[in-house]
Amino acid sequence: MHEIISRRRFLAGTGLAGFGAFLAACGSPGTGSPSPSAEASPSAAPSAPASAEPTPAPSLSSVLNFANWPLYIDTDENDPTKHKTLEDFKAEYGVTVNYAEVVNDNNEFFGTIRAPLEAGQDTGWDIIVLTQWMAARLVRLGWLEKLDHSHMTNFPANLEDAYRGADFDPNNDYHAIWQAGMTGLGYDSAVTGELTSVDALWDEKWKGRVTYLSEMRDAVTFALGRLGYKNSTVTREQFDEAIAELKKAVDAGIVRAFTGNEYAEDLVSGNVVLAMAWSGDIIQKQLERETLRFSIPDEGGNLWYDCMLIPKGAKNKYTAEVFIDFVYRPEIAAQIEAWVNYICPVKGAQEAIKAIDEELATNELIFPTEATYSKVSAFKSLTEEEERYFDDQFATLIGA
Amino acid sequence: MGTFLTRHRGMVPYLLLAPGLLWLAAFYVYPAFQMFISSFWSGTLETGFRFSLENWRTYPAALERYGEQFGRSILYALAATILTFLIAYPLAYTIAFRGGRAKNLLLFLVVAPFFTSFLLRTFAWKIILGDDGVVLGPLKDLGLLDPGFRLLATPIAVVSGITYNFLPFMTLPIYVSLEKIDRRLVEAAQDLYAGPWRPGGTIVGAVVGGGLFGLLGAIFAFDVLLMVGLGATAGAVVGTGFLSESFARVTFPLSLPGVFAGTLLVMIPALGDYVNAALLGNPSTTMIGNVIQTRFLVNADYPTASALSFILMAAILVVVTVYARLLGTENASAVRGI
Repeated sequence: MHEIISRRRFLAGTGLAGFGAFLAACGSPGTGSPSPSAEASPSAAPSAPASAEPTPAPSLSSVLNFANWPLYIDTDENDPTKHKTLEDFKAEYGVTVNYAEVVNDNNEFFGTIRAPLEAGQDTGWDIIVLTQWMAARLVRLGWLEKLDHSHMTNFPANLEDAYRGADFDPNNDYHAIWQAGMTGLGYDSAVTGELTSVDALWDEKWKGRVTYLSEMRDAVTFALGRLGYKNSTVTREQFDEAIAELKKAVDAGIVRAFTGNEYAEDLVSGNVVLAMAWSGDIIQKQLERETLRFSIPDEGGNLWYDCMLIPKGAKNKYTAEVFIDFVYRPEIAAQIEAWVNYICPVKGAQEAIKAIDEELATNELIFPTEATYSKVSAFKSLTEEEERYFDDQFATLIGA
Repeated sequence: MGTFLTRHRGMVPYLLLAPGLLWLAAFYVYPAFQMFISSFWSGTLETGFRFSLENWRTYPAALERYGEQFGRSILYALAATILTFLIAYPLAYTIAFRGGRAKNLLLFLVVAPFFTSFLLRTFAWKIILGDDGVVLGPLKDLGLLDPGFRLLATPIAVVSGITYNFLPFMTLPIYVSLEKIDRRLVEAAQDLYAGPWRPGGTIVGAVVGGGLFGLLGAIFAFDVLLMVGLGATAGAVVGTGFLSESFARVTFPLSLPGVFAGTLLVMIPALGDYVNAALLGNPSTTMIGNVIQTRFLVNADYPTASALSFILMAAILVVVTVYARLLGTENASAVRGI
């Protein structure tokens, strides 16, 4: 087990995120972009109004600037700066990937690229990885390059069916999923028995031994499920009801705390017997407490994913497309998956991963079955106004 | 160089001040100014923010909406400061006066926790105070505690976490001020018939103990009267047993500068702390630091977050000023000058 800390866990560690708050405070959003090639290219702006241009056969660039979350790609055990996938890409295409683990928070990163995008300039990045709701925002703003599917053979062909038809980008013209995850129930089956309904999260029996997630979309999805609604079609009225439902559990003292990844430690130590949980965490924690289980409740769970996106005006768009197509090869996807242990969105990776680790191929939390996929759904893409209202109401609920 | 400095003597102080001032200007004044500007923004991350003085209304709105968390921060910080004082003073006193050869080792032990990160130390409390952990587990097995009893995710855990994390900031300044005291002053007092302090020690102990415990009781929602009674009794016992006249008239007054410094070093960061509340608390123990963090990072509501930060800074400034007036730095140094 080489993977000790996953991306989400890292984030929890960044309760530290307060430092991020400082960063946010220190520069007005839009300044201080961490771009590796921070050259705003004024020359590109007038000459090439970004659209499908009738250029001759595009050629590969020598570098590709890739911004990703920390601990989110296969990494050499001895040298954290070495990533086999990136080396393979270089060996085959001769492109050096400038891989930067600079995305720690969707909003914070958005703040660093907003100004150049608004001004129609290059952000310095060719590929950025952001969560689906942020991808939806960028699509809405028209700040992404359209993926030219004619340059790609594996994408979107190898994309798992469950991820097709996102409401913000139904034909995958702008987003290619990097990794996905599911939010369900994490529980200690030795104490609670098998749990398959969200109602357990409101059960007085576990009063004070239940934690909820501090991610709005995750927590609200469960409350919507309990009320018989779906997160993919939520309305403002349904959302208000869901918040009221969550508040009942808070007021009754059932909810011990709203957490990031810390819930996983609490499940292991036995402080908590039931938690809203992320699929990847429970796989790892079963090593420490065998009786831990993860289930997607019958009422539905939240499906979230992080997407590879090409920001508008990216200098090396064609190379970025080649790279996206590269990681949609089953064996490359398997190589990444074997290290990050999230949910793999690439068809064929399940077969390919057998060459690395037989057990991973049968792990339902990495390669969910059709039945599991049918129970989860992605949260509706919100308008800016809705998003602000939802986030605000939820913040009040959790006491902040 | 030498001649340059002799010729421009007047510049020496400025040269010496320059590194510190530049540092402060770059990493304090500038960010603070930026934050002040952003507290007058309106707009969203998506549309961009615009500055307007009209937006002063953010301030009263923020204060109204988050008054509860402000109040809680003040109470928790106050409780933690009192607790650190109660723990640190006897500790520092023992090290300074009875440490003997072990003095350096003991001081090292006080500082040792700093070798581990703040975050990890706070996580450690989740293990120590765990519902079935090393402390509560045995007590529950013995039937002394209800199986459902817990310390984590309560105000007690939050205040304990803050107390623990900031304890060295109280201990070290008090130690330094005690260490500096000329022992001959204490001997002189004793030669002048300073003996056990009765009933002074008993009364002071009872009043201080009762007051402090009453406050803690109010914060933790315990039975306040019971707590006052307990505190007064404990204080009276301690006061009668340990407070001598030489301590009351010589040692304690001379250690006041340390107490003053320690209190500020604990109180100020405790007011802005959010890690303890985030890791050890529950939805109704959130402090203003948690609100600022959420406003900044989750809601991307920079204006409100900046306004709250400024209100917090102002509040701290007021607290420090009032406190300095009460126990005054001049007053403290005057005592030292005796």
